[in-house]
Amino acid sequence: MEEERELAINPIVATSMQHNTQVVSNIRSLTASLFGVAAGTLGMESYTGFIFYLIGTLIVSGFLFTFRSDGKPSEYFHRPLGDLWGGDVVSGLSSFVLTWTLFYGLVRA
Amino acid sequence: MTLIGATLNTVGLLFLTHAVYSTHEHTATFPHAPLPLDITIELLVSILVLSAGIVFTSPSLKPIVWARWAGRLSREGRHGEGKWTREGEEILSEGDPYAFLGLDGGIGGKREGRLGFWDVRGKRKEYAEWAKNGGKQ
Repeated sequence: MEEERELAINPIVATSMQHNTQVVSNIRSLTASLFGVAAGTLGMESYTGFIFYLIGTLIVSGFLFTFRSDGKPSEYFHRPLGDLWGGDVVSGLSSFVLTWTLFYGLVRA
Repeated sequence: MTLIGATLNTVGLLFLTHAVYSTHEHTATFPHAPLPLDITIELLVSILVLSAGIVFTSPSLKPIVWARWAGRLSREGRHGEGKWTREGEEILSEGDPYAFLGLDGGIGGKREGRLGFWDVRGKRKEYAEWAKNGGKQ
């Protein structure tokens, strides 16, 4: 109810929101496969690789926070914690695992 | 901004390719030795540089609060963003969706202004004067 009133006073532009989500998901899928390359060539196995991925996405979120949203993520995302810091982390995981296993097989095996 | 991003991407890709190739050579010659520290560092640095480049080359975000978004539109107007269609027409940024209302005309402006604000009394006075003058301008 409180949020509904807040949205009535300060309406949100749907196209901008869509654009921002698109930008974040593009960056996530590109960097996820990149981290997969690194994890595979470093020969990471099991939990180490997943922890590496989480650290990598945190760093990329930091880049987004400082360079793209100028330190004010609430101006560009409705829920900064979920949309900027946690946005598309799980969907990038599959492309991470794909390149991880590929490069592990190419370089190590 | 795009120039910085492009250089970061190029440098990162070069270092990444070199690091992966070095790892491949190293594991091919010494299959069970651990990876040397310099290759690891090169790989991690190249990954960092590349992800920074990807963030820099991505299109900039748009403000979601309507007031800020509309304020930016009215301040900057429609302008080109350095992109062209295949036919050679420049692609413009998004414009004010309510421009068709003619708000800029207004009461002091040249045009009628917003249709909802049609000045009925003014129009009636104009008509009365026109009729008093015998229907001539």
